[in-house]
Amino acid sequence: MKAKLQIERLRHQLLGKALLRGSIMLVVAAGIMVVLLTPCIAQESKPDPAGIATGDKTTVVDAGGNAFVITEPTDKTAPDYAQKKKDFDEFQAQAAKEPLTVKLADAVGHIRVATNFAWTLNTGYLVLFMQAGFALLTCGLVRKKNAAHLMMLNFAAYVFAFIAYYAVGYAFQFGAVAVNAAPSNLGGTPTLNHFLVGSGLWGFLGGKGFFMAGPAYDAGSNVLALFEVVFMETAGYIIVGSICERISFWSFLLCELFVGAILYPVFGCWVWGGGWLSQLGNTMGLGHGYVDFAGSTVVHAIGGFCAMALSVVLGPRLGKFGPDGRPRAFPAHNLVYVVIGTFILLFGWMGFNPGSTLGATDLRISVVAINTNLAAIAGSATAMLFWYWKFGKPDITMACNGMLAGLVAITAPCAFVAPGSAFIIGILAGLVVCLGVLFNDNVTKIDDPCGAISVHGFCGVLGAICLGLFADGTYGAGWNGVGATSYLGQAGRGVTGLFYGDTKQFLMQMMGAAICATWAFGATFIVFKAVNGVKSMRVSKEVEQEGLDVPEFGLLAYPEDAIHATES
Amino acid sequence: MKKIEAIIQPHKLEEVKEALIGIGVEGLTISEVRGHGRQKGHTETYRGAEYTVDLLPKVKIEIFVPDSRAEEIVRVLSTAASSGKIGDGKIFVSSIEEAVRIRNGDRGESAL
Repeated sequence: MKAKLQIERLRHQLLGKALLRGSIMLVVAAGIMVVLLTPCIAQESKPDPAGIATGDKTTVVDAGGNAFVITEPTDKTAPDYAQKKKDFDEFQAQAAKEPLTVKLADAVGHIRVATNFAWTLNTGYLVLFMQAGFALLTCGLVRKKNAAHLMMLNFAAYVFAFIAYYAVGYAFQFGAVAVNAAPSNLGGTPTLNHFLVGSGLWGFLGGKGFFMAGPAYDAGSNVLALFEVVFMETAGYIIVGSICERISFWSFLLCELFVGAILYPVFGCWVWGGGWLSQLGNTMGLGHGYVDFAGSTVVHAIGGFCAMALSVVLGPRLGKFGPDGRPRAFPAHNLVYVVIGTFILLFGWMGFNPGSTLGATDLRISVVAINTNLAAIAGSATAMLFWYWKFGKPDITMACNGMLAGLVAITAPCAFVAPGSAFIIGILAGLVVCLGVLFNDNVTKIDDPCGAISVHGFCGVLGAICLGLFADGTYGAGWNGVGATSYLGQAGRGVTGLFYGDTKQFLMQMMGAAICATWAFGATFIVFKAVNGVKSMRVSKEVEQEGLDVPEFGLLAYPEDAIHATES
Repeated sequence: MKKIEAIIQPHKLEEVKEALIGIGVEGLTISEVRGHGRQKGHTETYRGAEYTVDLLPKVKIEIFVPDSRAEEIVRVLSTAASSGKIGDGKIFVSSIEEAVRIRNGDRGESAL
């Protein structure tokens, strides 16, 4: 009987490994094919791996964003052609008279881009550190017997999702960024200019820069890649918060490859890579198109709803719901980790949101930083007081969830709203996360050990909608190529929400957030329902009861407990 | 010889120890234990779900003494450990047949 069980277990392990190996090979093969095919497509711009050609007089702009160099107008039928031609001629005459000024402008342009490189890279490093915060937070929230497993999930998430993003994810997301959304602060990355699926204003998938080679072997592109990969990692580790304490390691690696290669980059391309959702302002007249400044939906709701789908596929932890369906508590094993982890996340968010300008020359960064903090404290205060009122004592873990909820919700609107609105958004997020946790426990019965679905999924959607409500029009003129000269009949007016007179932007935000949630939940559910059908993604009942640390990795997080752990 | 076993509140340990040393008790053994009495713990909520804390942390003190000293020690220990509230604990006294000092083989009360 025992031998038969062992054979069965071995068979299952082999099947899991085969699935994993198969999918890694598939990703690699797809990447190699595309790398081989890429040179066949005509390439007009050359990448700049040494970083000596990025940033010249063409990247010099004044505080209002007006370019130093005036380019020759091409459209002779345009009504303002005569004026533009006159400006161009004047610039040419002036430049001929003052060649030294033009040369100086080359140096100024280089320094401008260098400043933005330094800003974007350093904020990216802050975002990278959020990984440590999340690992501590989630580890503290689970039971002692699964602590090592939890840490390994967080660790492997970084490694394997990075591999997938390096191979294909980055190219899918940003392979066509120069078409509609060139990051001009970083020199514009002109070599990333081709959609694999779609074209022009209707792009669905980027098609350049696989394995970060060829057109992506470029100084500007690599700044973007470093900054964006740590954002993808954020979505990648969010799922840990929902699926921990029961998922097997092999199936977790599949989840990470899926997030890094497909789930995250596809929606990311639609919103940040110049894809169709971001261009709906140009194509359908829906405000500035779908706007998500730093990723309430692109990062957090994608992670949150992916987590929700995976939790549904896996089912709740053993004993989470009693025979009468009532939720049971599995108290956090280390509240010190939970609080420190939350503070590290808050610190990292100072890179997440202000860094998303991709440049320190955009002075809105200070407003973004203040807004981010205000939403965080408002969210936390709300969650604390709500729990105080409802249960008689504030729950430390919910206070932490409340802070993260505020942060997630302000992530999309942080650049477009005033501090007062940021505070209100934080309060709303604090309420949504509390109700969300109670809703999942008591109504949907979806087991979410760390509250990832409520914090990142529900509050992510809230963030995108709040942008559509509270954006005050002071920032983002010309966003997504809409209203560069004037918007809503006002010169210099930026992204505007419902409360400030733009109904269409609000509708766009509702639609974009719904598409995000549908895509993240739907795609994940279909893929992993199938995987789970081939082989169960859960560890066995015995392993779950014992704790996953030893069966999965042969080690306990706290080996001093070995005697108790083997007895229970 | 008697064994005095006392199960007390952890925060009373220092007071009890000082009181016992004060009346010349020479040796004692302490362990951290968990348990419940008549109250059977209490209920808390974690993230909105209820759970019972039914095994509360306590400290167990074991002292081995000559028969003549048992009554005094029990009285002092009981006074020092008392706060007058539920959960203060209990003291048990039992007889001991034999004691051995491992180092030199002393037996009986001289081994205590």
